[in-house]
Amino acid sequence: MERERLGPWCSPTGSPAPLSCETGCGEGSWILVYRLLVPTQVSLLSMEEDIDTRKINNSFLRDHSYATEADIISTVEFNHTGELLATGDKGGRVVIFQREQESKNQVHRRGEYNVYSTFQSHEPEFDYLKSLEIEEKINKIRWLPQQNAAYFLLSTNDKTVKLWKVSERDKRPEGYNLKDEEGRLRDPATITTLRVPVLRPMDLMVEATPRRVFANAHTYHINSISVNSDYETYMSADDLRINLWNFEITNQSFNIVDIKPANMEELTEVITAAEFHPHHCNTFVYSSSKGTIRLCDMRASALCDRHTKFFEEPEDPSNRSFFSEIISSISDVKFSHSGRYIMTRDYLTVKVWDLNMENRPIETYQVHDYLRSKLCSLYENDCIFDKFECVWNGSDSVIMTGSYNNFFRMFDRNTKRDVTLEASRENSKPRAILKPRKVCVGGKRRKDEISVDSLDFSKKILHTAWHPSENIIAVAATNNLYIFQDKVN
Amino acid sequence: MEVQKEAQRIMTLSVWKMYHSRMQRGGLRLHRSLQLSLVMRSARELYLSAKVEAHEPEVPLLPVRSSDPRLHQLREAEAVSEAAPPDSEPPSPEPMDTREAPRAEETPAPCAPRPSKVSRKRRSSSLSDGGDVGLVPSKKARLEGGEEEGASSEVPDRLQPPPAQAEGAFPNLARVLQRRFSGLLNCSPAAPPTAPPACEAKPACRPADSMLNVLVRAVVAF
Repeated sequence: MERERLGPWCSPTGSPAPLSCETGCGEGSWILVYRLLVPTQVSLLSMEEDIDTRKINNSFLRDHSYATEADIISTVEFNHTGELLATGDKGGRVVIFQREQESKNQVHRRGEYNVYSTFQSHEPEFDYLKSLEIEEKINKIRWLPQQNAAYFLLSTNDKTVKLWKVSERDKRPEGYNLKDEEGRLRDPATITTLRVPVLRPMDLMVEATPRRVFANAHTYHINSISVNSDYETYMSADDLRINLWNFEITNQSFNIVDIKPANMEELTEVITAAEFHPHHCNTFVYSSSKGTIRLCDMRASALCDRHTKFFEEPEDPSNRSFFSEIISSISDVKFSHSGRYIMTRDYLTVKVWDLNMENRPIETYQVHDYLRSKLCSLYENDCIFDKFECVWNGSDSVIMTGSYNNFFRMFDRNTKRDVTLEASRENSKPRAILKPRKVCVGGKRRKDEISVDSLDFSKKILHTAWHPSENIIAVAATNNLYIFQDKVN
Repeated sequence: MEVQKEAQRIMTLSVWKMYHSRMQRGGLRLHRSLQLSLVMRSARELYLSAKVEAHEPEVPLLPVRSSDPRLHQLREAEAVSEAAPPDSEPPSPEPMDTREAPRAEETPAPCAPRPSKVSRKRRSSSLSDGGDVGLVPSKKARLEGGEEEGASSEVPDRLQPPPAQAEGAFPNLARVLQRRFSGLLNCSPAAPPTAPPACEAKPACRPADSMLNVLVRAVVAF
């Protein structure tokens, strides 16, 4: 793509430019709103350490040297209104950010997300029967739509899904008869009058309580959870099976997909991701390590081993290489908000499929094709196994996914323009405009371009999220969470 | 030759990764193991095709082995006896103990599940079976430095099995590696060529310390 000149799409006073109203994918239109360091855990992940001594340090540490592996963000998810943003990390914690309320005095402060709640969702466990450790890393978080004052989310590690209720408490009862203000029991002989306890305001307290624990249903590692549009059920998918749960019932789940072969020696593919259709509660898709997607209808049969639709693109023989099978594995699958399309991410590309056309995707975007010749090195350093996610924007016109060197890419489906942006500490002055980046493939490297060999493969953006209705994105770069928004906002 | 070397390197790397994946927290990852085995298989095919071009002596044995029905039985016996199926996911220091439990509950395999000890006995007894002696390298043979034919003939078996079987070997790889390394460590440096790690090996001792050296030796051997 030709090099675009940097420039904000609108003046700082906020008069919008036409392009950014449409898509927000224009170069130079993204600004950093907030860079957050997820609160750091002091303890380490060693097995010998007593879990009880683990402390959660609620202060924001600006220094990378305090970051431990437990702080690596492993999932990011906006809730249905975009008011809340949840992150899960390798240490099993969930941190929820809440968007600041709009105020007339500080128009520009809208869009900043502050910590709302932090809680330990999962702890490391040990399966004694199989003699293996179960990681506490949060693989996925999914919000339930809000139905009352409290917020509900599902969080999962490799084996157990939990339903958490996050609620606010800003009043407390005072004036008990049998207890004094500190909660100590009063001597009944001293009670001479009766009073009615009253609710008095208190400092806002946000508490998270586990309401349901859905355990012991997965032999393999859970890779996805997805809430159904009926809001009564959800599914959890591991490498070989998908289970359907009812939120109210924790001791049973229905197995709806089982691809485990009778003889494990015949195993050729695993399930890599699964998602319910956004509107049709009977429809879901799951992707495989062979680069295929299956759409299933739960009305057809109880066990959806036979797909209703099968999406597969024939392999391009010219691209065939030693690692073809690995890079064709789909790492993420997402329905569009409309429900008409699905997007899949494999190692080098993002593809958009029309549900009505199974034989090939309608769009293919190259995320970092310059890595195609580096697959061997990427295999050596294990990067070839990285599982990148992909997201749609609210209007399904732009798709976004991550790459290496803390780069992330956006593709505008309408204009066919794309942009590479970087989430980095150097560019992290608040409200700094993001400069488009470019990777130089070969030959002469222009100024500001980065050559493929100088990319930092340890800095990878696997998890991103897009606000459901606005051009606000959350990008997780290792233990940092970046929030960017379109300058129009 | 370059291709061969590269394929060997990839194979070494894959095997090392498989072994290493057992050590990581969370247990054996099925997807990762599958991907590693795919690369392993591609590397082996590449290596073999390169070898075929170079007219190696093992070549004539290839078609025979692949179609040998006894081979399937033997391989299944090996696979069952080597380790539990991948869904057991045990990074156990005692392979024998964990093998039995998961296999009993999870494997409706064509071969009846049987205790590992018994199967190992069966294997060694099968070694004495003259017809099969060439298919499986014997412990004795390895220690004594003989049976080069047997070992190398086993190589093509493993390297060009039907795809389903190849996949099946991978979960056992790590555990077999462990045993294979300890076996190799006990051998002299001029040890006979050993089969690739996917093959059966003698009982487990302890993981090799100089894993990479051993790996290189194992790979170079064939």
